[in-house]
Amino acid sequence: MKTIVTDFEYLPAKTVEEALELLAQHKDDDYKIIAGGQSLNTAMKHRLITPEYIIDIKGLSDLDYITFDEKSGLRIGALTTHRSLEKSPIIRDKYPVLAEMEENVASVETRNWGTVVGDLCNADPAVDPGPPLIALDAKVTIAGKGEERVVDAEEFAVDFFETLVQPGEMVTEIQIPALPPHSGVCFTKYSQIHGDYALASAAVLITLDESKKKCVNARIGLGGVGNAPVRAKKAEELLKGKEITEDLLAQAAGVASEETSPISGIEASAEYKKDLAGTLVKRVGKEALARAQKA
Amino acid sequence: MKQQLKIVVNGEPYDLFVEPKTLLVQVIREMLGLKGTHQACDSSSCAACTVILDGMAVKSCSVLALQANGKEVLTIEGLADGTKLHPIQQAFIDNWAFQCGFCTSGQIMAAKALLDENPNPTREEIQEQMDGHICRCTGYNMINEAIRDAAKRLQSEKSAQSGKGAA
Amino acid sequence: MKEYSIIGKPTPNVDGPAKVTGEAAYTIDMTLPNMLYGKLLRSPYPHANILSIDTSKAEELPGVKAIITGKDTPGGKWGLWRRFRELSDQQALATDKVRFIGDPVAAVAATTEEIAEKALDLIEVEYEPLPAVFDPIEAIKDDAPMVHEDFPSNINATRHIEWGDVDKGFAEADYVREDRFVLEAAHPCAMEVHNSLASYDKGTGRLTVWTSTGSPYFVQQNLAEALKLREGDIRVIKPHVGGHYGGKNSTMPDAVNAAILSMKTGRPVKIVYNRDEEFTTTEHRTAQNMALKIGLKKDGTIVAFEVKTMTNGGAYTGLGATTLYLTGTFITMPYKIPNYRYDGVRTYTNIVWGTSIRGFGAVPAKYCSETQLDRAAKDLGIDPLEIRRKNAVIPGYEAPGQYKFESCGIQPCIEKMAVRVKEKWPKLEKDEGIGYCAFAYMSGGIFNWIDTPYAYSSAHVKVNWDGTVDLYSQAADVGQGHNTVAAMICAEELGIGIEDIRLHMGDTAHAYTDLGAWGSRETLMNGNAIKDAAAQVKQKLIDIARLKLGENIAYDLVAKNKRIFLELRPERGLSYYDLVKDAIRANDGVPLTGTGHYTPHNKGMISPAYGMGIMAMKAKVDRETGHVTVQDVLVVHDSGQIINPLGARGQVEGSIHMGLGYGLCEEMPMDQGMLLNPEFVDYKILRTRDMPEIEILDVPTYEPNGPFGAKEAAEATIAPAAPCVANAVYQATGAEFYSNVLKPEKVLKAIREAEKKQKASKATGK
Repeated sequence: MKTIVTDFEYLPAKTVEEALELLAQHKDDDYKIIAGGQSLNTAMKHRLITPEYIIDIKGLSDLDYITFDEKSGLRIGALTTHRSLEKSPIIRDKYPVLAEMEENVASVETRNWGTVVGDLCNADPAVDPGPPLIALDAKVTIAGKGEERVVDAEEFAVDFFETLVQPGEMVTEIQIPALPPHSGVCFTKYSQIHGDYALASAAVLITLDESKKKCVNARIGLGGVGNAPVRAKKAEELLKGKEITEDLLAQAAGVASEETSPISGIEASAEYKKDLAGTLVKRVGKEALARAQKA
Repeated sequence: MKQQLKIVVNGEPYDLFVEPKTLLVQVIREMLGLKGTHQACDSSSCAACTVILDGMAVKSCSVLALQANGKEVLTIEGLADGTKLHPIQQAFIDNWAFQCGFCTSGQIMAAKALLDENPNPTREEIQEQMDGHICRCTGYNMINEAIRDAAKRLQSEKSAQSGKGAA
Repeated sequence: MKEYSIIGKPTPNVDGPAKVTGEAAYTIDMTLPNMLYGKLLRSPYPHANILSIDTSKAEELPGVKAIITGKDTPGGKWGLWRRFRELSDQQALATDKVRFIGDPVAAVAATTEEIAEKALDLIEVEYEPLPAVFDPIEAIKDDAPMVHEDFPSNINATRHIEWGDVDKGFAEADYVREDRFVLEAAHPCAMEVHNSLASYDKGTGRLTVWTSTGSPYFVQQNLAEALKLREGDIRVIKPHVGGHYGGKNSTMPDAVNAAILSMKTGRPVKIVYNRDEEFTTTEHRTAQNMALKIGLKKDGTIVAFEVKTMTNGGAYTGLGATTLYLTGTFITMPYKIPNYRYDGVRTYTNIVWGTSIRGFGAVPAKYCSETQLDRAAKDLGIDPLEIRRKNAVIPGYEAPGQYKFESCGIQPCIEKMAVRVKEKWPKLEKDEGIGYCAFAYMSGGIFNWIDTPYAYSSAHVKVNWDGTVDLYSQAADVGQGHNTVAAMICAEELGIGIEDIRLHMGDTAHAYTDLGAWGSRETLMNGNAIKDAAAQVKQKLIDIARLKLGENIAYDLVAKNKRIFLELRPERGLSYYDLVKDAIRANDGVPLTGTGHYTPHNKGMISPAYGMGIMAMKAKVDRETGHVTVQDVLVVHDSGQIINPLGARGQVEGSIHMGLGYGLCEEMPMDQGMLLNPEFVDYKILRTRDMPEIEILDVPTYEPNGPFGAKEAAEATIAPAAPCVANAVYQATGAEFYSNVLKPEKVLKAIREAEKKQKASKATGK
């Protein structure tokens, strides 16, 4: 069976400062950051990646947190595992959509060791947390030595396996604003086999007005249907300011579908994935609406 | 360059030196000779190599050994109490929950992690826990039944013990 | 039915304690002192001449102990179709040219696996790419590139089967339909990859090989051919095997090259494949094209059936030629078909080769015939279960010159199914459907393409002074539970307990021949051999008991509950343990032994017995995503007297899992001979949440050719799974499928087609 054959220098960091220092030192070197390494180790086994340095941040316990307050919303530290997010009472109470999403991420074993931020940084276009973070208007904090910037979740991944994180930088945190009243969020993904990579995934947030009739805000995130997770802005616009009916949702789903640019693969054609994205938007949109009406 | 790895496996402390590229499964199988943990894929997709690391089921093929430094590992070899099989092991035998047996160690370790956390899981909860595991022989149903059976055995063992305590 | 002490009782696996504690050693877990690690360098081209191989740089790498190329091998070709030497087409390393992506060209032995891997990078091979052929229809064209130059064409094997008068049958039919199918390949995906450990004894010139195989005897024969050694100088040991499913019948380059490297270095050598090597270079279920023509009377009676198949055989033969034959056989079962014609062609192509994967030809065959039968039933307005009942065989049915059913419970199975389905699924929701498929499968094959001079199965029983029994056989437990079945049969015959039996299985040096685990043969064939061996010992004990009891010779004596006693006067008997001591004393101190064997005679061309039954699946279709959810499965089967109900259930459950994979998601897409999904991350295998629960009902019969009335209880239920799903979707939506693998997109397309067809037929008023 395959093992990692190419040697690397192993640089563990214990604190964020240490990690940023190591990153600054090796800015121009061929390095990779490892957190859980659930994708990285496989890539190294297959010699797809053969870094000279591995900077290990798994030990940064100061970044393993999930906190919430109404004012600043939710904060997810970069070393939070998928499993911690899934099981967190805060998440189950305030953002159950994230727990729903986690229940279908790969396997329990992967979720136990792999981190949410690591998954985002690996930047597979089908990354499960991508769409719900877009729908929830999440921000991602990227830090370098002595500097820090915050980017929108929808901007974070720029291409297949490529993000805004530059050499010398790392992600430290994800922030999600508190949900306004009368908001509902739902996520689903479709894969033929449970727990598999999504052929397409969709997350929809709907916020209703006081009367719970009119949609005041909508956000739609889609996964697996482009070179990175996609925000379906045109479809969102269609919903905003209107009373959401099944017809309107179907129309928005059609528009969202057109905002995708999937590629064909062995499992399905681009055309199928495009249609699938629309179907999923319609389904999660309906559920998000129902949740918003109850909220 | 080799680095120190202090690790406790099945209750035994080990002080080892490993190349940083070494995976946990290599330490378990090759350095410690614990061949009960099997590998069946190269893409972290089958969970045959599952062990319990500080209480959590993980794929030992996908964890750098050095990341387990200072931690405790439980493998299939550490489950039985001397010659007495663990109730999960016995339930796997009694329910014909394996055939070729190659994925069984990983299945049993994942079941152990589940039952430690949730002593009375539903069929759905068992399936969620076990979903990462490929079994090419059984079709899974008999594994799920074994885990439900094991849960019952563990609970009756526990109540027997607490009964003794009261007396 | 007869009341047995052990047979028919749910019995935990005798290998259980070893397998649940991690102590069961598989070949992959084994090491020997001073062992080297081998790796194979493989061709990146589907078809190319090898111009040169330069190993000099690799040889300089510290830790490399040997590198071999084709010219360094003994050069013997091997295969499983030994009766036809030209089909012995495998070789250790390609010499002049490579025939598929992954054909090995060099082998390295080094002190670590990592060094061996690095050495592969340093071997320089110069290839001259040749035009390649990947499609069976292209392969038989006149100007197609030749895969094997010394062969007259790319036709590897053909098979014609015919009985009755097919043309007359079609002329008499009220309804005739023709359908064409394209079947995708699938991989067995044993969890333990192919791997072998070879140790050559320099002093004696003898070789010992531990390997993950389904047949130690096949490996022994093939190694003798490949290495040009005597069979008797080779010992093959089958440790625990981590899955077989038909993919471990052939001897593969891992075993042969480990042996050659061990002979070169004088050290033990182990070769373990990576998962991608397993996918790209080991045998799979063959992709094929099939054309079926069926003729029926208005009442649904089948009067004529004609089948043509062309299989994408790949670069070598394996058991593909047998699979071709069996495809043409199993497609007729379990139906009365008065007039039948089959023509099968297996082609050589530049891909990895296909073979005898679980179900041995029945899987693609049944997919086509049973989906076609549903469409015919619908056209004729006949219930799908009724059309199966009407045509199902009865005991004593014979396909002329081919096969005969002795025990045969298919009719009662279908009747039981009809009752149970109504109870179980009284009402269907929208987009739900029930699909059926009837099935039958052999209990071991009669054909002898391997050209064994030995009995098909044999077993040796030795009873020790204390009554413990050593049972020796080359029969292979590959996970199917044969060790347990073997111990049960031996214990039942001797009237003792399983705890009295110690097994010594799967070692060519310690036991007489058994052909191994394929075609669901071990229970019937090895079971008969074991029962024969045990019966010989039992007779000796009975003789002594007769002597000691001094009873009327008219009384029958039986062995049961560790006693030998008068059948009609159970109180008059003696302890088994005491009798064993007496018998050994009477035998000049020699332990009691019996050597049993079994070779079928006068049982047709296929098998002495057939397991059979009917399967039903309830599935729901998502009309927007195309997802098919298999909600529930019901099986009613006749496996004769089931030896171990626990093991039999496991076989049925597992077969359905693999069969559903064939029907829903497993496939091997290739581009110019390159497999596109050679890892589990891309090759989709159903997980626990994808599996429905399965209800299994038995219709026991007594099979006169099997031990204690037993027959096949293993592979039969793989073939019906995929057609059941396709038929369920057809019943729910009208969607028709002409290939397996109901991926959501394919389902959606088929539903749209069906909707179009329904609209058109409404418009024309038909």
